[in-house]
Amino acid sequence: GIDWNPFDALYTELFAWRHCACIYYQDWHRTKRPKPAAEGNILPGVSSAISSRPNSHPEPPSRSAFSSPRSTLQSNSGVAVAYQESSTSGQGKTPTPSSSGLPFDEEAKLVYGVVSSLRNMIKKLSGRDETFVTYKTSTYRLHLFETLSGYKFIMLSDPHSDSMRFVLRQIYSGPFIEYVVRNPLMDMDSKEHGIDNEHFRNATDRLMRNLSVFQ
Amino acid sequence: MSTKHKSIGEDLWKTRTDKINAELFAFTYGALVVQLIQDYEDYAEVNKQLELMGYNIGIRLIEDFLARSSLGRCTDFKEVGEVVAKVGFKTFLNVVPSITHAATSKNPLAEFVELPEEALDGGLWFSNVFCGVLRGCLEMVQMQVEAKFLSDVLRGDETTEVKVTLLRHLEEEMPAGDD
Repeated sequence: GIDWNPFDALYTELFAWRHCACIYYQDWHRTKRPKPAAEGNILPGVSSAISSRPNSHPEPPSRSAFSSPRSTLQSNSGVAVAYQESSTSGQGKTPTPSSSGLPFDEEAKLVYGVVSSLRNMIKKLSGRDETFVTYKTSTYRLHLFETLSGYKFIMLSDPHSDSMRFVLRQIYSGPFIEYVVRNPLMDMDSKEHGIDNEHFRNATDRLMRNLSVFQ
Repeated sequence: MSTKHKSIGEDLWKTRTDKINAELFAFTYGALVVQLIQDYEDYAEVNKQLELMGYNIGIRLIEDFLARSSLGRCTDFKEVGEVVAKVGFKTFLNVVPSITHAATSKNPLAEFVELPEEALDGGLWFSNVFCGVLRGCLEMVQMQVEAKFLSDVLRGDETTEVKVTLLRHLEEEMPAGDD
């Protein structure tokens, strides 16, 4: 489940999808940490915050995104043991270490399932060129931006937020082009690996924090 | 319709494209081809490698193109050709190849090039990277195409011509069935 907390009006989650698999995840101001995905259910390189961890490690204390020079620490086995945590807005509370109900891979699958079903339904109703762009429930709003090349950027936000499609478009034409497309070491068309990298994550973070809605 | 693409292409070239020195670009590409020839010693293999490199460029170039051009989906393959020539080529190379008629449009890769005898005999397509770029770009927007050179002024032909054939549209992927 996706929990909405009235003190957390700036809650935001970002997913990127390619070839029907989740290739990237980032969030801001979630009250509860997403539960790590079960082993093998999520591609490597999506987000160190939700990778499966075979051993249980105590969660590190939260650090401000701007003070830490490195956003992740890797153990020898390549499993992330610490991750960048965007601190909640200044109500003075630290995020609780408890997890939300669903493991991340199931949450992602649900999100994609809804999006996929709605897209197919709209196409049947209205034809190839129409696509749905947003829906809203009592607890969140979902925004979809899809490129002609098959990348789907999905954002979940506070239900009272305005359309975030322009933000998704800015993430695509800004950080994504600069740090994923133009990085020769990033595999563009991989079905086995996500697109998480430090520059992309930080640039997206900066873009989000600079939005007037966060100020 | 065609004037709209022409003006989009010109606008993108003028305002939204970082420029690079043309000689530097031509020399870099030339050095690359020479290195491939030395490494592979087989012109057919060099052609293949150039095409593969082009493919890897193409799958990235298309994102760059989509991000800056905001064009919608083309309605038919004829429009694809228009957009590729008038907007794509214009934006990245500042040349607009002609689509149906054979016309010598300047090839920025081959400006300073003269092919030696053995490259001509060996069948080298010097600018074969273009074929890969076209294949890569179009595959990412769900079109499987074959692109190949028909003629090249570097080989003494009258024109430089690339033929692009639409093989099939690629189906949109559906998620795997339930576990």
